[in-house]
Amino acid sequence: MMILEATNIRKIYGTKKNQQEVLKGIDLRVEKGEFLAIMGPSGSGKTTLLNVLSSIDRVSEGAIFIEGNNIVAMKDRELAEFRKRHVGFIFQEYHLLDTLTVKENVLLPLSITKTPKREAEKKFAELASELGIIDIQNHYPSEISGGQKQRAAAARAFIHEPSIIFADEPTGALDSKSASDLLHKLRKLNQQRKTTIIMVTHDPVAASFSSRVIFIKDGQLYTQLYKGTETQQQFFQAIMQTQGVLGGVRS
Amino acid sequence: MSMKQLVFRNLKQNIQHYYLYVFALMFASALYFAFVTLQYDPSLDAIKGGVKGAAAVRTGAVLLIVIVAIFLLYANTLFIQRRGHEIALLQLIGMTKRNIFLMLAAENAILYYGTLIIGISMGFAASKLLMMILFKIIDIPVKASLSFSGRALVQTLIVFSVINVFMMGMNRLFLKKQTIVSLFRTTSTTEAKHVSVWNMVVGMAGIVLIGSGYGVSMKLFSSDWKSVQGLFMAMAFILGAVIIGTYLFFKGTISFLFHLWRKRKGGYLSIDDVLSMSSLMFRIKSNALLLTIITTVSAIAIGLISLSYISYYSAEQAAQNYVAADFAFTDKKDAARFTAALRSHDIRYRETMIDVIEAPTDISMILDIADQSRLQFQPSAAALSVISDTSTGRIDVKPGEAVLTGYQDILRQFLPFKETGTIRLKANGRMVPLHYLGMKKDYYVNYHFTHGMPTVVVDQTMFARLQKETDPQMKKVHIGIHLTDETNIERADQLFQRMKFSSIADSRLIMSRYQKQTFGLIMFVVTFLGLAFLVTSGCILYFKQMGAGEEERPNYTILRKLGFTENDFFTGIRQKQLFYFGVPLLLGLSHSYFAVRSGWFFFGTELWTPMLTVMAIYTVCYSLFGMLAVRYDKQLLREAL
Repeated sequence: MMILEATNIRKIYGTKKNQQEVLKGIDLRVEKGEFLAIMGPSGSGKTTLLNVLSSIDRVSEGAIFIEGNNIVAMKDRELAEFRKRHVGFIFQEYHLLDTLTVKENVLLPLSITKTPKREAEKKFAELASELGIIDIQNHYPSEISGGQKQRAAAARAFIHEPSIIFADEPTGALDSKSASDLLHKLRKLNQQRKTTIIMVTHDPVAASFSSRVIFIKDGQLYTQLYKGTETQQQFFQAIMQTQGVLGGVRS
Repeated sequence: MSMKQLVFRNLKQNIQHYYLYVFALMFASALYFAFVTLQYDPSLDAIKGGVKGAAAVRTGAVLLIVIVAIFLLYANTLFIQRRGHEIALLQLIGMTKRNIFLMLAAENAILYYGTLIIGISMGFAASKLLMMILFKIIDIPVKASLSFSGRALVQTLIVFSVINVFMMGMNRLFLKKQTIVSLFRTTSTTEAKHVSVWNMVVGMAGIVLIGSGYGVSMKLFSSDWKSVQGLFMAMAFILGAVIIGTYLFFKGTISFLFHLWRKRKGGYLSIDDVLSMSSLMFRIKSNALLLTIITTVSAIAIGLISLSYISYYSAEQAAQNYVAADFAFTDKKDAARFTAALRSHDIRYRETMIDVIEAPTDISMILDIADQSRLQFQPSAAALSVISDTSTGRIDVKPGEAVLTGYQDILRQFLPFKETGTIRLKANGRMVPLHYLGMKKDYYVNYHFTHGMPTVVVDQTMFARLQKETDPQMKKVHIGIHLTDETNIERADQLFQRMKFSSIADSRLIMSRYQKQTFGLIMFVVTFLGLAFLVTSGCILYFKQMGAGEEERPNYTILRKLGFTENDFFTGIRQKQLFYFGVPLLLGLSHSYFAVRSGWFFFGTELWTPMLTVMAIYTVCYSLFGMLAVRYDKQLLREAL
């Protein structure tokens, strides 16, 4: 089943006289339950792509369907409503509220959907043990480590059982152990809950946890790799090779 | 970009952000200049003699400058802290601290003196208005004409320049102390740590202290502490207990209550809670001192304005108590001359004549005081005025009975009377017991006779007996002239003033004017000081909220990304500001209520109407700042995504 379908999306920044086309007509189809990684050199437009797919930013042209809803045609209010219910976010800078404890941060998306308290407790208990944040549930973000913060942010992204989760460089600010720890957990949740994950990363190791990697270059789809039946190690090698070919600077 | 350009760019930015600061500075300088202009104005000499007008205005000006100085210095620290990033960046690209200081000084000088000049010109325009208001309040028919006073200008400039020098010194110190790294670091550490037993103890102590302060204030002027020293100690205790209690209340009680509430939620917070409670908890402790100051300042302002308004409001009533008719005489010939003058001018009147005897009266049995030895007079032989019941025309007393009348509220605090009992009147060297039936409020004779004590009303036969036995020296007469048509009062008063009388004669209108003059000027000064208090405390809260809002901006962005819309935020923001502005206000109102209650009877005869009027007006003005803060937050939210 198709969960996300984007056709010919373009994003143009700037004034009429001085235009810069960041996305130059990208087509993308994502199956339900996929773990998709988006890679590309700096300035290739991968974060912009993630922003428009996740409805935080608007496209200049093209159509995006998520679960059959055309989010390009939605008004801001509808979009906000849509994000509340169907989308989860993980950011590089965690984006936890300093004023709330870990548990309060995680439960935030449920309060808007008026989930009964008992059910919320149950969901939290499950997810918190899965992500190993039970012990720190009453701590404030300033009292915990980066890895713990990112796991808390991941819990917040999963708690309301969204159909799709967008992650923007989730391991960008983590040390290698915390990063692999987080990615293992993300993959596990992806497999258990069949939640679609779209992750932007520049780290081949992080990308090797996914089931498919697409490469963007200069605002266009360059190529894509499926993991298929390969081991993670083999997949990692393949990603490294492609990245080598892709390069960063035009010769 | 040259330094000059940089300065002007920064200025452009700042004015947009700090319009309220500019407004407050303008307001303060205008008020100060107006005050000083009044102080130097010769037309104020008209009332200087009687009520020391210039002295009152000068004291006001000094107090005003203290408030303004504290406010400006505080605002300055807030502003420079907010520009930390910018300062660090400029240092990073190679500007020296000295250069940055000069840049800041130049910016500030332009903003400061520019505002000051506008403020002074507004102050000059306003001083005429203030003068007119003052003359209206104190009921003096003088034309308000003002000339520009060079001395006032120089004084204003000097005073504000001194403040500016202090501000610059603070900025220099700030620059010296801070390193680039410390300036870049965002200072957002949580204070909403976990609730402790200590927190609870502090919270309880706060409530207990405020409560005990209120408790003592309730019986401050009752008989419990009669000596001046005791009274002073009690006042100091109230002040200390209430202020420290307020501080602990903000530091402990509120965060404790919030913790309880939050614990009950079990981590499941609604968006309103996130924006209001958790955000407030995050900062409440470090804001405790500020909120305490705001509360105290509000309480002082409301209390003082209330008291002065009570005096002013009661002026009419006080005059009625002092002078028990439109005109009152103690000599029959004086009265006859005056009534003749009235008749010749066709002014109709009614004359009442009340014979008054001063007789030693034993009131020790009806005083509601256990230990009467500390009283200033002999309660067993108090020199009270005695009148007959028929002369009052309203009270009827049977033989062997007596009532007291003409009782001020202030007296009730020092001399509480029982409902009924026995008094004894000295007649012919013997104490005659009379059954005391109670206390009435009306005044029948002048204060020259009563000296603030109540008058004894007895049966006519008893009065006749007393009169026969009393030494003629002790026999007096009160002649009251009541105009039939009150519109003639001005004309009658002019006649009264033109005549010379051989013994004491009073005009209620003159008395009332005198009272209004005294209290009107005080009220005028106090009200404008209160206004300055109000504006500065409102501004400080607003600036503080601006800073807090700035810090919360990333949170708003996160929430917007998660899918919360602007509309989801509004209730929470309103709750937050309602709390932030409302709690100090409510506490301030409560403090001032108890303060006013403990001593209002010294100031006038009416408590509720003037006090509630002042409180209502203060609340409305103060709320404006809260609304501005909500508006600012909404704007932040809109820009957040």
